[in-house]
Amino acid sequence: MPRHRGARAAAVIVAILLALAAVGCESAVSQQQNSTAPAAPGGPTPRGGDLRVGVLGDLSPKAFLQIGTGSMNGQVVANSFDTLIRYARDSLTVEPSLATAWQLAPDGRSLALDLRTDVTFHDGRPFVSSDVENSIKAYLSGPWTPQFKRTAAAITRFDTSDPHRVILHFAHPLSNIFDLLDSAPVIDQNTLPELKAGTAFNGTGPFRFDSWQPNSTVRLVRNEHYWGGAPALESVTFVVVRDDQSLFTRLRTGQIDVADGLSYHDQQLVTQRYGFTGLTLTGAESQEYVGINVTNPALSDVRVRRAIAYAIDRPRIINDVFRGSGYTVNLPWPEWSPAYRPEANTTYTRDLDKARALITETGPIPPLTLDYSTQGNDRVIAEIVQSNLGDVGIEVRLVPNDRTQQSSKLIGGKFEGLWLLQHAFAQFTPSTLAVSAYPFNAAKNSSNYSNPAYSAAAEAAWTVRDSSSPEALAAYRELDEAWLRDLFLVEIGVVLRQVATAPSVGNIDWDRRNQLHFAGTYLASEGKQ
Amino acid sequence: MTGYLLRRIPTAIVVLAVASILIFAVLRLIPGGPEAALAGPDATAAELAAIRHDLGLDQAFITQYLAWVGDILALDLGTSYQVGGSIADLIGFGLINTLILTVAALIIAILLALALALTAVLFDNRFVAGLLTVVNAAAIALPTFVVGTVLILVFGVRLRLLPAGGIPPNGFTESLQISTQYLILPALTLGLPAGAMLARFLTESLRTELQQPYVLTARALGASRTDIVLKHALRNALPPTLTALGITVGALLGGAVLVESIFGWPGLGLLTEEGIFARDYPLVQVLILLSVAVFVIIQLLADIVHAWLDPRIRLAGDR
Repeated sequence: MPRHRGARAAAVIVAILLALAAVGCESAVSQQQNSTAPAAPGGPTPRGGDLRVGVLGDLSPKAFLQIGTGSMNGQVVANSFDTLIRYARDSLTVEPSLATAWQLAPDGRSLALDLRTDVTFHDGRPFVSSDVENSIKAYLSGPWTPQFKRTAAAITRFDTSDPHRVILHFAHPLSNIFDLLDSAPVIDQNTLPELKAGTAFNGTGPFRFDSWQPNSTVRLVRNEHYWGGAPALESVTFVVVRDDQSLFTRLRTGQIDVADGLSYHDQQLVTQRYGFTGLTLTGAESQEYVGINVTNPALSDVRVRRAIAYAIDRPRIINDVFRGSGYTVNLPWPEWSPAYRPEANTTYTRDLDKARALITETGPIPPLTLDYSTQGNDRVIAEIVQSNLGDVGIEVRLVPNDRTQQSSKLIGGKFEGLWLLQHAFAQFTPSTLAVSAYPFNAAKNSSNYSNPAYSAAAEAAWTVRDSSSPEALAAYRELDEAWLRDLFLVEIGVVLRQVATAPSVGNIDWDRRNQLHFAGTYLASEGKQ
Repeated sequence: MTGYLLRRIPTAIVVLAVASILIFAVLRLIPGGPEAALAGPDATAAELAAIRHDLGLDQAFITQYLAWVGDILALDLGTSYQVGGSIADLIGFGLINTLILTVAALIIAILLALALALTAVLFDNRFVAGLLTVVNAAAIALPTFVVGTVLILVFGVRLRLLPAGGIPPNGFTESLQISTQYLILPALTLGLPAGAMLARFLTESLRTELQQPYVLTARALGASRTDIVLKHALRNALPPTLTALGITVGALLGGAVLVESIFGWPGLGLLTEEGIFARDYPLVQVLILLSVAVFVIIQLLADIVHAWLDPRIRLAGDR
């Protein structure tokens, strides 16, 4: 009998607990939903709300200024800091930011920049010309290894006698000086050690840094005193998501409003089937390519490299892997670039007869290795390239690497045969590619390729005053010819990066480095449902 | 008991020392160094060399190892290469999340084990036994990533009853209900195979106990099967299961790496994964050494509880 009483009592307690849970249950799922009402362009901008952005990778203060080392760094740079100028999205037209006007000297050896007078850092300190000098010196001094370091190092003197005007003096004309000014954020010298340690991010940007939970979230809050007007959003929370599948799930279930880093397949799925909005980041293109170690005896004969260029099925890769988000090329330039020439991009199209004929001329080729990164789409592309080269009698062995190993081999020029990667920098001034992007670097590159004529053309393109002058265009042509003739890497296509957003998100901007800017962004209906 | 403890502590120290050497050496055998992860793809050789120098990686292996061990003994866990912050802070944040997940999974595992084992011995018929065997085998055999993915798709995406991943945006302390909902799917994914494994141990242990002479005596005295199982056999069947539980906790901590990755749970597992990808040597060294230390301590605790439950072990240790 007592046992039965005990059982009954236990059942009553369980029933009460379940009833309490049912009545008072607060749903975590409904709590995490922002409004799904679509954004209405043209109407008054709704204010408030927390925009949740899913990104692959966490903040890494030690690599803060590098481009392409994890998107969280770039997102904080873009939203908590400003640059002196901004490029237009679809051209290299320079637009004002912290600098309102600029005059390049006739000899190209100095640049005067007029600065805004109404800008303050987040801690309230006014922005003045010495901050430009300090920022560029910080950009150079490390621990960071940003890509425009060589351009920054060519600035020999800073004239900061006027607090609202700075004159930069160069060792020689710098055709890509505006690339540096578009990319290097203005940093507060007083909090530089804290920035390097990841404890303070004192910029002049539209959002102030609020908190960082490693491996979890970074939160920025509205800068009410922003010189461009306070942003509509109250805050932006960047959510660290480690893989693109989780990113897809979080977007679909309403846990995030913006997904930056979906696979192209998932991007197509969420926009075409589930009603999310897709943004194509024109102006921030990257290029998929097959790199070639020209010191490998099997690849030292340019005819073999040409056979590879003829064998690769570029349209298949762009259509199947990137879901049509891009276009095939032989040269790196995006369509809007001053160096772009459509006729040059038909030099190598898939032609198995030509490829086989070249291989017949050179004789049998020993099996080649193809290194690829296990992150992203490269495994599938590697398999396509392996199959394409198999069609012309070149046997390829695939070598998977994690991203650090792939980077290490790239920097060290240690790829044995072929490798697969993406590069950027063709979306900047054309001369930048041959001085700042490692695969193309004339001084030292991963292909172990060197050619005095190529180096001279790279130097000539870099040291002209005007990046669109006939002199500059002639130098770009010489670079083009070297790439098409010597083929130390084979371009596959220009790839357009995409971002998916909930329908309620409006007006996201971006820059050339794939960084999203939320200064003008709004949520259609602020707050939770 | 003291003698029993004293016998085990030196063994634990040796295990930790050997583990520290292995961890330190093996990490450096992974191709690609931290300088490549830090410098990015466009760095020059000179920049790489400067980073290696800054990190002290250009020193002799033994010098680096002794410096690290010295710091650990001085309770200085060092600084993360990639993040740049204090490793103690990073681990503190991750540890809380991992412990919450592991404890929740452990509770699920224990409850599941008790439920399955008691059902198996109390309803001792062929149908129940067959059903439990199938449930058990499925729970053990299904890979964690399959279970996790299916749970996310069903409860997170399709039914939208529970969050598909992550931790509560405002922390675990704000609302117990919200926190519980975030915990259910990852804890279930982690706890399910462990519970099934424990259930097997406990069931076998209970069945062995039920064949002991004292059970026959109890039956002869008129005690019901339920009374015999719950009041006598269960207590006696627990010691071997507790040893298995100790191993299970280690397995749960190890399994958390995958579960945290599937559910985007920012614990030590995710931190370890990211640390390995970034070749963040100091961070990964401490994390792996910590997991070895936790495992050693849990084993020690399991032995102590075992000795407490079984006087023969305690007395043998004291002699």
